[in-house]
Amino acid sequence: MSTIEIKNLSKKFQRTGASDETAVTAIESLDLWIEDGEFYTLVGPSGCGKSTLLDILAGLSTPSQGEMLVDGQPIAGPSLERSVVFQQYALFPWLTAAANVQIGLESQTRHGKGLGKVERRARAHEYLRLVGLEGVEDKYPHELSGGMRQRVAIARALAHEPKVLLMDEPFAALDAQTREQLQDLLLDIWKRTKTTIVFITHGIEEAVYLGQKVAVMSAKPGKIKEIVNIDLQDRQSVDDIRSTQQFGEYRHHIWNLLHSRAAQESPAQFEKTLITSGAHA
Amino acid sequence: MSTLTLEEQQISLERSVAPAKYSTGRLGKTLRKTLYSSGAIIGFLLVWELVPQFVLEPASKVFLPPLHEVLQQLWKMIISGDLLTHVSASLGRSAIGFLLAVVIGVPVGLVVAWFSKVGDFLNPLLEVFRNTAALALLPVFTLLLGIGELSKVSIVLYAAFFPVLLNTILGARSVDPLLIRAGRTLGLNNFEIFSKVVLPASVPIIFTGIRMAGTSAVLVLIAAEMIGAKAGLGYLITNSQASFLIPKMYAAILTVAVLGFVVNAALVALERHFSRWARA
Ligand SMILES: Nc1ncnc2c1ncn2[C@@H]1O[C@H](COP(=O)(O)OP(=O)(O)OP(=O)(O)O)[C@@H](O)[C@H]1O
Ligand SMILES: [Mg+2]
Repeated sequence: MSTIEIKNLSKKFQRTGASDETAVTAIESLDLWIEDGEFYTLVGPSGCGKSTLLDILAGLSTPSQGEMLVDGQPIAGPSLERSVVFQQYALFPWLTAAANVQIGLESQTRHGKGLGKVERRARAHEYLRLVGLEGVEDKYPHELSGGMRQRVAIARALAHEPKVLLMDEPFAALDAQTREQLQDLLLDIWKRTKTTIVFITHGIEEAVYLGQKVAVMSAKPGKIKEIVNIDLQDRQSVDDIRSTQQFGEYRHHIWNLLHSRAAQESPAQFEKTLITSGAHA
Repeated sequence: MSTLTLEEQQISLERSVAPAKYSTGRLGKTLRKTLYSSGAIIGFLLVWELVPQFVLEPASKVFLPPLHEVLQQLWKMIISGDLLTHVSASLGRSAIGFLLAVVIGVPVGLVVAWFSKVGDFLNPLLEVFRNTAALALLPVFTLLLGIGELSKVSIVLYAAFFPVLLNTILGARSVDPLLIRAGRTLGLNNFEIFSKVVLPASVPIIFTGIRMAGTSAVLVLIAAEMIGAKAGLGYLITNSQASFLIPKMYAAILTVAVLGFVVNAALVALERHFSRWARA
């Protein structure tokens, strides 16, 4: 539960020793304000800097310029307060599911504010149950399906109760049915824990279905093009909300934003489409 | 969500049922397979038994006695305890050299891999050492350390050290960076990343190095013992040959073959055990 404030953030990649001209600008002067407990989804063309932004949020890399504040504090490296779920699961293959989930808890204990051994094990079981996995505690990742592995990864990210959950295309490698199940699972967890979630995806539908807000990014250099407020009722209270008209309009609007190459050449017309579709929404 | 777990359960149920169905057929199949895979060995032993008796001239038969004579000799040596003396001499030396190689090679490899500058600096030298056949250095070891136990253990150590060292470096360097990133977001500091991520992740590759080291420890030792020693299987082979005790020589060679086979099988089993999670 924390607010995230990104101010005038830029990230350049430069080979060590190479000249300034060869540097790649992944993100340029990006501003973003994420409220406490908000579910934010992030879409954009491939290579627009989504993963770069998430890495900086996680504290795994530092910005070249600008600043990123969590609850007013600048980010100094990775922290248990901000958990990450990676597309490729990133489970430790030599540890069982339960042992994977306990990694963050053990770190907490080492820092002197954590649980004892028995409680850690109980907590791991509790979170595996939360993500719908019971009876796999002692299985190794290679014995699990892709969907089950990603559930374990989500449990691992949540078990130490972080304030922010960062997810980089977590469901991209899964089949459509499993993906929808995990989307609903994630919404359930979010409603229950009120964790701030930043969720990167390539799927427009996924972005609209999950997000309270969808940040649409553009590439070269990476910027936020528009932030779309998604004003849908509770996703799971309606049968197949994805086929409602309102959902379709959001989807179409974001699709337009992502495919507005032609529109960029005639900005006036682009503005108009934006306004009309915005009015629908 | 609940339907998914149900489906997964059903699938795993089917998976576990499937082998049971074929288990009776599988028993006969394994038997046939074992017979088939050992067929070549049985054929070879038959040729060894029969050719000296029925094909070779009596004069050359002396140099290649049939298998049963060799086995008789082997049995005699087992009873008298003669064989045990030589086997334990050889095993003791290679075990000491091998264990030293593991105990030194793994930590040094980890340090070299962790400090990549050290690694880049040392790598060319290591490559030269690794590609220098250990036996080519035997005269040097003998000159410096004499023909006693020290030089034997040292040459084994040398031969076993490089596979362990180089595989440890390789293993530690090829750890998936994603796992390191995941570890950092889970609150691990540099030392914990090393001990809880890099080390376990490189265990399978390290054990491949350990297996290679074990095999070459035995091979190099036998050769070293043939050149200068007062006990050991290599010594037994050359000594029997020089004293014209031909069946004894073959008995020693047979022992070397069995020993090499057993050591390798044991190390393969060990390697399997420690990398079972990686076989996915
Ligand atoms: N370590 C790096 N060194 C150099 N350039 C990099 C590095 N990481 C990313 N880039 C560049 O930064 C840009 C943004 O990359 P990033 O991975 O953030 O894109 P993305 O939006 O996540 O793309 P995708 O949707 O394909 O995952 C790309 O042009 C990429 O080539
Ligand atoms: Mg990416």
